[in-house]
Amino acid sequence: MDFSFTEEQDMLRISARDFLAKECPKAKVREMAKDERGYDVQMWHSMAELGWMGLVFPEEYGGMAASFMDLVILMEEMGRNILPGPFFSTIALCALPLLEYGNSEQKTEFLPQIAKGGAIWTFALAESSGKYKASEVRLRAVLRGTNYVLEGHKLFVTDAHVADYILVVGRTGDGERPEDGITLFMVDARGPNVKMETIPTIGGDRQFKVSFDGATVPEDNILGTIGKGWDIVDFILQRAAVLKCAEMSGACQAVLDMTSSYAKERIQFDRPIGSFQAIQHKLADMLIDVEAVQYLLYQAAWGIGVGSPSPWQISAAKAKANEAYQRICIEAIAAHGAIGYTMDHDIGLYYRRVKAAEFAAGDTDLHREVIAAGLGL
Amino acid sequence: MDFRLGEEELALKEEIRKFAEAELPPDLVRNTVIDGEFRDFEFEISMSRKLAERGWLVMSWPEKYGGRGASLLEQTVYEMEIAYWGIPGAWMGISGIQWVGPCLMMFGTEEQREKFLPLIASGEKDGVWCTGYSEPNAGSDFANIRTRAIRDRGDYIVNGQKVWTSAAHRARWCWLAVRTNPNAAKKHQGISIFIVDMKSPGVTVNPILNYYGRHHFNEVFFDNVRVPASNLVGEENKGWYYLMQSLAFERRSIAPTTYGSLKRILEDLAQYAAQTEYEGQPLSKNPLVRAKLADLAIDLEVLKMFAFQLAWRITQGQIPVYESSRNKIMGDDLMRRGAITGAEILGIYSQADPDSEWAKLNGAVQGAYLGFPGQAIAAGTAEIEKSIIGQFRLGLPKSY
Repeated sequence: MDFSFTEEQDMLRISARDFLAKECPKAKVREMAKDERGYDVQMWHSMAELGWMGLVFPEEYGGMAASFMDLVILMEEMGRNILPGPFFSTIALCALPLLEYGNSEQKTEFLPQIAKGGAIWTFALAESSGKYKASEVRLRAVLRGTNYVLEGHKLFVTDAHVADYILVVGRTGDGERPEDGITLFMVDARGPNVKMETIPTIGGDRQFKVSFDGATVPEDNILGTIGKGWDIVDFILQRAAVLKCAEMSGACQAVLDMTSSYAKERIQFDRPIGSFQAIQHKLADMLIDVEAVQYLLYQAAWGIGVGSPSPWQISAAKAKANEAYQRICIEAIAAHGAIGYTMDHDIGLYYRRVKAAEFAAGDTDLHREVIAAGLGL
Repeated sequence: MDFRLGEEELALKEEIRKFAEAELPPDLVRNTVIDGEFRDFEFEISMSRKLAERGWLVMSWPEKYGGRGASLLEQTVYEMEIAYWGIPGAWMGISGIQWVGPCLMMFGTEEQREKFLPLIASGEKDGVWCTGYSEPNAGSDFANIRTRAIRDRGDYIVNGQKVWTSAAHRARWCWLAVRTNPNAAKKHQGISIFIVDMKSPGVTVNPILNYYGRHHFNEVFFDNVRVPASNLVGEENKGWYYLMQSLAFERRSIAPTTYGSLKRILEDLAQYAAQTEYEGQPLSKNPLVRAKLADLAIDLEVLKMFAFQLAWRITQGQIPVYESSRNKIMGDDLMRRGAITGAEILGIYSQADPDSEWAKLNGAVQGAYLGFPGQAIAAGTAEIEKSIIGQFRLGLPKSY
């Protein structure tokens, strides 16, 4: 066993932290929450120049051929800083499955563009029930000539308004199991008959209802095999769960650090509130939560990195992160007192993003079910 | 990062499984608190001897003291498996293997090491130790101890009282914390550690029964007990430093053992839930049962990671500052939740005596339920451990 990062990984973390501290201060996060696009285009291109978009792509697609753990480290830093924008949707939800399941033409066409920062992607799975289950996929796709025609809608599609492509989960057939007959389409987000409606969120991120009212997709733009798309959805949800966990892990650490600093500075009854056990023990509980998330995350990420992903470990990490991130934020606000409840304070930025993180790549119930099944229940 | 166990560790797990299947009676009542109840001392010691013969009892010690120089990671796996199978006798009273031995290796004289370590490693009764820390006025405020040792030529004369002394009635030796300088500027600066022969004249052991009637701990009186000066551990008045180290060793082992015990309970509960029908369907289909067991399993995985991370840090030559406290809090909290969840699943049967045939799962759930409040206090309460994290990990001001 080895619980340490390599020197290169430590350097990646430090350089990411420095870049984000400089380019993405909390003032920028607040500004982007009101911005029409929701992210800073200039920063996006700087990130691409640093090689972040293509971090795990092979060099032939303009990437850096780094490991999955490296991507986890980068995304922990993004989460620590609450970097706004479509990195998660483009890379975690779309580029990774393109890399794994795309044919060589698709990879050559799409990946270098993403690596350069020249294309934004997002993923559309959930419908009215909001559940990530094959049985809930109602959007139909029917072949007409050489095009598929999509009818249906998707909810809570992040960053759809700035996306060039949407990876859409549709039904092309019905089989014995609900998973049979699911197909993934790469849909031109700006094409005709693709309509978007904003879903205002408490996190200040950009989410949409996307309707496909007869939108057409060329046959060539199917990812993987027709009717066998649910395997890809599983792949996406697993990787994305770990990478969302990484963002949450970074956020948890940031909230703990902020609260711990505040407890040392804030004087009441003539002494720092951090000298009171009521506050100190709250912080100790937060630390245990933070480290629980970190180690479950690193274990799950390591499994993916060495080519033997464990769905059980992935679900353990995401279920834990869902609960811990929420609990840490709530405790942090309590420890701050009224100042933590204000618009000007940064804690609220983290708290308001809890729900978006929780429901990305699987809510707690979904992941608990994976664990329960693993116990033989 | 790398989260694989080595081949040695995987092979060890398998060997322990075979050992447990061959050596343990199938109806063995499963105590969750390690050897806590000393129900059958002769049986326990017979198991200690067998573990010693296998080279497992003190596996991480150097060969010259009876060990085989195993890594701390291997030892962690061993502790998890011992607890999983509920193999009694693995701790030899509770003190010797876990902290007396390791502390003597760090702070003892060569003479002390050569005399005491092989005794512990043998698994014989003369290697059973108890630890004299708590006193009536020194619980969480441990530095407040008043038991005195006064130098008298080649000896020290010890007077005073210890309490909650686990296994004192079985122990041949006591790892004793005493005050040697009552005038030190700070309370913790006047403390020393001695090795005391429990057969010495003037040592009296009185049983204290716990709330379910078991004889686990004792009060121990020292009335002009003569202890040779050669039994002083390390330097006089430096005992506090050794004590903190011993507590770190003690707290370290709580995560692996709690992990092992609870993993078994969780698996048994999952099986029980699958086989027990209620209203026409197995309990395992009940969403509440599923959610509770899943939550337990997730945090058990956390405890496992914490246990290995701490062991790994020590193998890197680093001195852990707060990890033992983190692991103790997590382990105790999980034991509580496991006991309560287990009792909920057993329902009305959870009140059956763990020794009775009505108990289900060999009494493991009831044992945990009765035992967890005690385990949570031993070696430092959650409040003390959280203060340690606050002060030494987060850099907050001292809170007491």
